[in-house]
Amino acid sequence: MTQINLDELSQLQAINKKLVSGYHISEQDTTQWQELDQHIESYQALFNALGHDLQHDSRGFYYLASDESTPNMGKISRAIALTVFILIEHFANQGKDPLRALFDEVLDLELMQTLVQLNKHLFDQLEIFSGSDLRKDVCLRMVRLGLAREVEQGFSLLAPVYRYIDALMEVNEDNYDALEDEV
Amino acid sequence: MIPAKKVLNTLNEHWGVLELLFKRFKMADFSLKDVQNIIKMKNPNWSSERIYKETNRLLNQEIIIPLAKSSQLEINRAVADFASFLLQEEHLGLAEEITVLVKDLQRLGERLAQAGDEGDHSELRRFSRIMDERVRKIVKLYHHNESAIMNLVEQAKSDQGSLSLQKRYRAVIEAFDEYIEPMLEMVDIHGPFQACFTTIEHQISEQIAQIEQLGRGAQDKRMLEQLRTRILDMHLIGRESLGKSADMLMPLREELRRNTLITRQAAKVLGLIRKNGVDRMLAPVQPHFVSDIQRFSLGQQRHMVAYMASLSEFEHEEYQLPDQQDVPAYQSPNIPDYSDVRKSFKGSGKKRTALLGFLSEQYPALEADEMLFLYQKLISDPELDIAQDEQQQTMQIANTRIRLYPFSAADKQTDNHN
Repeated sequence: MTQINLDELSQLQAINKKLVSGYHISEQDTTQWQELDQHIESYQALFNALGHDLQHDSRGFYYLASDESTPNMGKISRAIALTVFILIEHFANQGKDPLRALFDEVLDLELMQTLVQLNKHLFDQLEIFSGSDLRKDVCLRMVRLGLAREVEQGFSLLAPVYRYIDALMEVNEDNYDALEDEV
Repeated sequence: MIPAKKVLNTLNEHWGVLELLFKRFKMADFSLKDVQNIIKMKNPNWSSERIYKETNRLLNQEIIIPLAKSSQLEINRAVADFASFLLQEEHLGLAEEITVLVKDLQRLGERLAQAGDEGDHSELRRFSRIMDERVRKIVKLYHHNESAIMNLVEQAKSDQGSLSLQKRYRAVIEAFDEYIEPMLEMVDIHGPFQACFTTIEHQISEQIAQIEQLGRGAQDKRMLEQLRTRILDMHLIGRESLGKSADMLMPLREELRRNTLITRQAAKVLGLIRKNGVDRMLAPVQPHFVSDIQRFSLGQQRHMVAYMASLSEFEHEEYQLPDQQDVPAYQSPNIPDYSDVRKSFKGSGKKRTALLGFLSEQYPALEADEMLFLYQKLISDPELDIAQDEQQQTMQIANTRIRLYPFSAADKQTDNHN
């Protein structure tokens, strides 16, 4: 039985507000991140009792796991996934270290436009037709979910993007074959 | 003979130029013009005459020397070695180099044993000295290669974006495949190196024992002992250096492997997406988020299912608003119709009667509140002549005791006719 001392969880309100809106608390949210880091057991127990699944990812972020999305959130998530995958491909094509570039490079409007142009038929499926659509529909939402942060020239991705890289690695030959069969 | 001090002075003065030459051309040759350009670049306000003079100085002091039968120049080998030592600009040697040296060491060990057996002390000393030199050389190579690998790693790490991924890691992979791996194999405890060193050590130990037994050449004994220690030490240094180098390279190699994996995977998945469509491909793998809206709205799948299910049972129903006349007056089922009550009251006679008394007599089955309802109706009836008693009375109706100033009434119309 975990003893939860609510007095110790001084950031509970802020943390709860962020987490239940789908936000990922990473190291940039210093206060909350530290608080979670220190009292992770209490928070986990508390959120568990409330019917949430508080996850700590060792790459430096906390989030509430969920196994389904609203259709709208699902669409947003797909758009983010597509953007991240295309970014990886884009950096690799430029001969950069994709993983490093993903977190180091700033995603500016010019890059967004290039991405949309190069992958027009993919983004069309998600109703993203221009760089500014990408900015509005994907990047700003990523900021709201704690996956990116706004910087001077554009956006820079944060550690929680690893969830998408994990998802990328999850697509394996088996899924692929199953899909082929369905076709 | 050029005085050393003079050369050192020139080196000191032109170190910038030499460093650039060394870095730019590595061990390759260059033209006189290149040298002059570099001097000009380093000293932009020198006159061309001065530059010409300085170039000649470098040439005269044999710091740079002309290639045989060519107008090209190269850095004096001795200076180049010195520079490479100073700059730690070392190039990774081959594992072969060390292997050859170790084999040579083995050969020398045999010769040494032979010389010892024959009692040829000068030979023994000579081979011991040569072996000592070889050992130092091997140790130097180890150090050299270690710092070369360090440079590689530094380079691979420092360049953020300018170098392409492939270029950045090519050196690392090469170093790993061509140096670290074969070397690790060799220094392995069951590898050829170990066997070789055991033999050499054994040979030397034997010589030492012999010297001890014969009691001759105490100096030789000390020398051999030193050699033996140095060989063992060399082996240790080699293993440590290789271990360190491998540790430095390993993370980069892992990084490369991971990056290649991710890149390949991204290309593959995007290919699948192009073929099968975004939603179809990504829906099963995308990460999910908790959202406020999700919990408070018709959003989750199970909500949708429930909603659709109830939708299928929906029937449109005709509904008419009632008219005012249609509304029936409320009446408790036990209460007799008021018009009946009034009729029976009127029929009861023309004389003034206590209303409550009449009601409890006529309808004994009624509840108290129902009786009072009728009583209240009778009181307010305009067709009856109502009078109220002056005195308060307590009455018992239907198990309830009430206290009131009771009304009595008579038929008004009858009164009027009378």
